[in-house]
Amino acid sequence: MDWRKISVIARHEYMTNIKRLGFIIMTVAVPALGILGLLLATLLGGEAQQIGEFLARQFEGSSQATGVVDASGVFSPIQPAYKEDFVSLESEEAAAEAVEWGEVSAALVIPEDYVETGRVVVLTSGSGFGVVEVGDSADVRAFLVDHLLAGKVDEDIRQRAARPLRPEARVVSGGETRGEGPLSFVFTFVVPYVLSFFLIMTIFVSSGYLLRSVATEKETRVVELIISSVRPMELMAGKVVGLGAVGLTQVLIWLLSAVAFSGGLVAVVAAAGAFVVPTRVMVLGVVYYLLGYTLYAILMAGIGALGTTMQESQQLAGIFSFFAAIPYMLSGFLFANPNVLLARILSFFPLTAATMMMLRLPLAEVPWIDVVGSIVVLVGSIPGALWVGAKLFRVGLLIYGKRPTVKEIWGIVTSQG
Amino acid sequence: MTAICVDHLVKRYDEVVAVDELSFVVTEGELFGLLGPNGAGKTTTIRILMDILKPDSGEVKVLGRRPTEAKERVGYLPEERGLFRDVKVLDTLVYLAELKGMPRTAAWGRGRGLLERVDLTEWADRKVKDLSRGMQQRLQFIASLVHDPDLLILDEPFQGLDPVNTERLKGFVEELREAGKTIVLSTHQMNLVEALCDRILLMNHGRDVLYGHLDAIKQEYAPNVVRLRSTEALPDLADEIPGVLSAEPDDGAVNLTLAEVVDPQDVLRSLVERRIDVREFEVAPIPLEDIFVRVVGGEER
Repeated sequence: MDWRKISVIARHEYMTNIKRLGFIIMTVAVPALGILGLLLATLLGGEAQQIGEFLARQFEGSSQATGVVDASGVFSPIQPAYKEDFVSLESEEAAAEAVEWGEVSAALVIPEDYVETGRVVVLTSGSGFGVVEVGDSADVRAFLVDHLLAGKVDEDIRQRAARPLRPEARVVSGGETRGEGPLSFVFTFVVPYVLSFFLIMTIFVSSGYLLRSVATEKETRVVELIISSVRPMELMAGKVVGLGAVGLTQVLIWLLSAVAFSGGLVAVVAAAGAFVVPTRVMVLGVVYYLLGYTLYAILMAGIGALGTTMQESQQLAGIFSFFAAIPYMLSGFLFANPNVLLARILSFFPLTAATMMMLRLPLAEVPWIDVVGSIVVLVGSIPGALWVGAKLFRVGLLIYGKRPTVKEIWGIVTSQG
Repeated sequence: MTAICVDHLVKRYDEVVAVDELSFVVTEGELFGLLGPNGAGKTTTIRILMDILKPDSGEVKVLGRRPTEAKERVGYLPEERGLFRDVKVLDTLVYLAELKGMPRTAAWGRGRGLLERVDLTEWADRKVKDLSRGMQQRLQFIASLVHDPDLLILDEPFQGLDPVNTERLKGFVEELREAGKTIVLSTHQMNLVEALCDRILLMNHGRDVLYGHLDAIKQEYAPNVVRLRSTEALPDLADEIPGVLSAEPDDGAVNLTLAEVVDPQDVLRSLVERRIDVREFEVAPIPLEDIFVRVVGGEER
């Protein structure tokens, strides 16, 4: 390996890609969205609290009404405060129909002896997850408690029994307690989560640039000239480093602008509270970012070399994009429980480990075994990816005119030398 | 000094033998023609010389070293060629020179010089995709020698060039040879090989079928025909001169077909002895194209 040549390639890739329109738009768009959000918060002033609660609620799951079939008489009529989220239904049959037609997300069938037994039939469509969701729902609890105690106890007690806890998050960091105000939930959980989301996007954008760079160099045939000057491994290494630096530049700009906004404008937007990303999340986020990028970049380099055109290479890369998308598909579950078993399993699978962990980290204390395990899996699978990727890269670059079949690709990977 | 030494080179792709026990030498400072029909194994051989492919067996030395170690002193114009479309013209040259190990500032100066040589100076800061086809071809050519290599391997450099650009490039190649560069030229344009090359290697099915000095090969394959022009009316030379099989009048001259073992010098001597007024006497040349077709076509049959 000639490090000087790798650095020449890396610089070339960096300089070429940083000037791309797509990169500039993407880099500017994220801070621009941030400014827009803060401006809105400023303009709305006192209403920021409602917005914060509204945002928080969005992450809690479905907001559709719940049906109530009341045979006990305790829940009729429904109190005004609950009219929006609960609707009274005639019979169990009507409730079943409403659930089936999607008019309500679920229905509670409350028998006559409810007060003595606590028995409630929960009707939901689809899987059994809905029952758990309804049973765990704070809104359902509040609804039940509020109606049971109506007129029997003092108003304050009734309200506390219905909602015994109004959590106010305060984050302790560096000997300072910050995060007062209603938006603190958004800033302590949502912002780091969104940041993670963008970091992950950067992984795919950068490795997408890599795919594009390799595929176009092959398509324009300039690659033969290049590999007559440097080894394929050096070319691959240079590209991975150069385009990784492009991604890091983007992340850095985002982070700096985020800090600038939260630091500079926080005075203006008092309600915004403090922007806090715990150090642990930040450091681990960067570690996963680098590992995840390296793994994907190497695979993309190999795949980019296989197609005869850009389009073909992108199609071949599709399968990996699918793996990458799995953690996103699970976002809903992750908010409910970041340490759900499936998420933990996927944290140990090379192609999803980095992204899964990056999504889990901002949401909760992730077991240390998951952190260590996923890092070991990633570090361990990179040499394997390098071996396969380099082979595909070296052989694929010179196959012009036709796309290799799966059998041929397998042949390349398993061949000697 | 030898610039390239290939000894019993073999390269297979699965079941297909692309290069089969090939041996040849290119000496320093010569312009060497590498010829053969499509699929003869020329590009594979060149790619091995450029260290893009590894041989299965045999020995290859480029500028006295293994191909890996010689890369930086060799220039290469691939048959499958192209350039970065979105990169500026001069930046392209500088990048390619740097990949060959040339320092950035030196590459800058050399790139500017070459752009001037092919009339592209005004385009130095434009993107490659803005150039016309002819300009891109000129740029590709100078891209192969921007790092000032000792050995230049040109794979079909004239492909797709118009006559004006072909002439310009030919002049440039001759200039490089005069400057002492060793050049390997692979092309299908036989007239250019005849005009430029000292020695040639004709490949077919991965093997060498003709190898040596162009003149010697042409002599070997020349049909035993001599062309004779005289001021006087000639008698029927087929009867008079030993070894002459037939005499055909051709545009005021006579083509004499000789028996295979007969030396044209003996025929000339006989003519002079008979006091025939010889104004012109030449061994009829055979175009390289005919030799190519005969040798390769003969093999195919």
